[in-house]
Amino acid sequence: MTRIIGIASTALLAVSCLVAAQGRGGQAPSPASQRPPQTATPQTYTAEEIQAGRVRFASECGFCHGRDAAGGETGPDLTRSDLVAADLRGDRISGVVRNGVPQKGMPSFDLSAADLGAIVAFIHDQKANADTLGGGRRSVDVADLQTGNAEEGQKYFSGAGKCSSCHSADGDLAGIGNRFQGLALLQRMLNPRSGRPAPAPAKVLVTLPSGEKIVGPLVSRDEFSITMTDTSGARRSWQVGEAEFTVDDPLSAHYDQLGKYTDANMRNVFAYLQTLR
Amino acid sequence: MRGMRFSMRFLYGLILVIGLAALALAQGVTPAAMLKPSADVWLTYHGDYTGKRHSTLSQITPANVTQLKEIWRFQAGQQQIKGTPILVDGVIYITSPDNLWAIDARTAQELWHYTHPRNNAFHIGHRGVAVYKDSVYLTTPDAHLIAFNAKDGKMKWDVIIADARKGYWSTNAPLVVGNHVMVGVSGDFDNLPGQLKSIDADTGKTQWIFYSTPPPGVSEPQSGGATGGQMWMTGTYDPELNLVYVGTGNPTPVLNGPVRPGDNPWTCSIVALNPDTGKLVWGFQVSPHDTHDWDAAEVPVLVDGDFNGTPRKMVMQASRNGYFFVLDRTNGKNLLTKPFAAVNWAKEIDKDGRPIPDPAKEPSRDGVLVAPDESGGTNYRSPSFDPATGLFIVSAHDSYGVYFFKPDHGAYGWAGADYGVGGRSFLRAIDYKTGSIVWSHSIGDGAGSAGVLTTATGLTFTGDLPGNLMALRTSDGTTLWHAPIGRVGNSPITYQLDGKQFLVVGAGSSLVAFALP
Repeated sequence: MTRIIGIASTALLAVSCLVAAQGRGGQAPSPASQRPPQTATPQTYTAEEIQAGRVRFASECGFCHGRDAAGGETGPDLTRSDLVAADLRGDRISGVVRNGVPQKGMPSFDLSAADLGAIVAFIHDQKANADTLGGGRRSVDVADLQTGNAEEGQKYFSGAGKCSSCHSADGDLAGIGNRFQGLALLQRMLNPRSGRPAPAPAKVLVTLPSGEKIVGPLVSRDEFSITMTDTSGARRSWQVGEAEFTVDDPLSAHYDQLGKYTDANMRNVFAYLQTLR
Repeated sequence: MRGMRFSMRFLYGLILVIGLAALALAQGVTPAAMLKPSADVWLTYHGDYTGKRHSTLSQITPANVTQLKEIWRFQAGQQQIKGTPILVDGVIYITSPDNLWAIDARTAQELWHYTHPRNNAFHIGHRGVAVYKDSVYLTTPDAHLIAFNAKDGKMKWDVIIADARKGYWSTNAPLVVGNHVMVGVSGDFDNLPGQLKSIDADTGKTQWIFYSTPPPGVSEPQSGGATGGQMWMTGTYDPELNLVYVGTGNPTPVLNGPVRPGDNPWTCSIVALNPDTGKLVWGFQVSPHDTHDWDAAEVPVLVDGDFNGTPRKMVMQASRNGYFFVLDRTNGKNLLTKPFAAVNWAKEIDKDGRPIPDPAKEPSRDGVLVAPDESGGTNYRSPSFDPATGLFIVSAHDSYGVYFFKPDHGAYGWAGADYGVGGRSFLRAIDYKTGSIVWSHSIGDGAGSAGVLTTATGLTFTGDLPGNLMALRTSDGTTLWHAPIGRVGNSPITYQLDGKQFLVVGAGSSLVAFALP
């Protein structure tokens, strides 16, 4: 048996939406049935590849991503991943698996081409299954997140939460409720660094002993050194003591806020952001 | 004549010493050696039975630590080293899932290598081997326990400790007490009872099984229907009390609390067991009714010392739930409960010293913001206790996660969803008498992976998140030395061979040794 992934799943999704709509007495599908990103290019895998991939995936990836690829300890739900949706026969997934994503805690895997191919087949098949069924095991739907009060959220935003000291509803956040929905919006609100796409990195100002100043995006820093990208695009590093540097990371305020939110604050601000369309 | 008699006596003495040494060699690692490990070995996961991960070696000092040089580096496959190397008789045993290498501790020359047949269990990490007499004991991802001849890697026996097809796997470094090889498993992706097995070191036969949650077919109403509570980390042992201390994992289903009402003993607990029978002597639940995946598997560290003016035998744990506990280890009574990392989930500390979960922080349909996140205030990375300063030093994680549960998520395995939304890590020194943080040293964004080793010269070794191995001054946390060797994923060890003190630590998938020139 060969499964065509993409076309088939889209068709099935259309059917399931129709069923859902009828189930609700003919209402149009609400944005609550937040659809996972759609597979960009239809692709086919054999049942043998998918079965081999199920076993390899469970063994190599299942701990973090769940044995069904719908999320496990620490790893995201791959059936709702933009990267998986954009992938064609492993052209994007392979690099992530082979190189890892160290900044997000994902190790690199040294897998044979056959194992990797089977894993890719399984992920795509699971995505097709999840699309068909509407929501993975670990799904968080937009409808689940509608318990906040937008008015209260706005008050917190411009009052106690001090969000308005950096943000404005008709400035940087204009249309945020269109650009992100549901869990993606919540994650971005709580900490843009935990969401996708990744926000701009912090800025570094380096002052060399000569007095020369260099400004650019931060690549990495630790107790002993700092690395940044200069205006020519080259990476440059200095040890502590070789230069003065100051890091400007306005997003760190989001981390500080995590310790201050009540759950009600969080839900209310989320409700308010949803209204910014 | 007197001189002659003296030399005869000396000769007899010499023969006796040689004889004893030969006997010791033939016996390999004896129970007596494990009770008082010498400077030239690292015989158990924690180095000794107390779990202090503290060494009395004194060659490397704050004054000369900056001269440490890399002596050798051993590439152990591709996977990050998470285990503790075991050293006996000049040979280091180091593991990764499905792999065990014996290497020369002086040169890192490979002596033998065992590769387990390919299997489909989780391969997330491995904590190392145990040794006893002339055997090395290895757990495998598919939940076997294999005994090897330490010298040549010849397999002696291979037994199955749990059914991998049901969802059990093992990363465990067994704890050996007498002829008991105590071995735990993992398995919280399925609703499985928590089990710790004692295996006869010589024959591989099962001696006893301790269940932290009821075994199949047994009804214990007080469990609330919970499964789980796996004992996947190596415990500690008090020979005077003849008690083994083990931390138990989270209940299953993991995030679905309503389906398993009550405290769910003995999940998320420190349990004291008799190693000869496997019987529970006492238990202390550090997280009653956990709904956040906070295993209490972290090292139960045994310390003898003063508490509030009274000499005490204590057990201390910095637990994944963000709280630091001091208990009287003779009876499990609580002496102190204090947070060491960001926490917001407990509504009170009850009269028995247990943090009681706030029902409002149980995973919900619309999400709750909880500190710490699922990876916890700390995790399996070892802490260290420094007797000179009374400081308990731990890699702490101030972190936040959003936790969800709705009935659609079911009641099997994970049964919920959670997402980390930010964390920062610190090495923290806790005054065990008060629980207050004496110093806190930033080690980077995200969750730390390196454990801690302290030495009698006032040094603390650990790794930061960007990938530096560091030596800090134990008393105040000041950095004295660092080496950018890559992310440390295990807990450092030290030993002395041929008069030279070695520091050995995992860096990514290699094992690296440092010493003074």
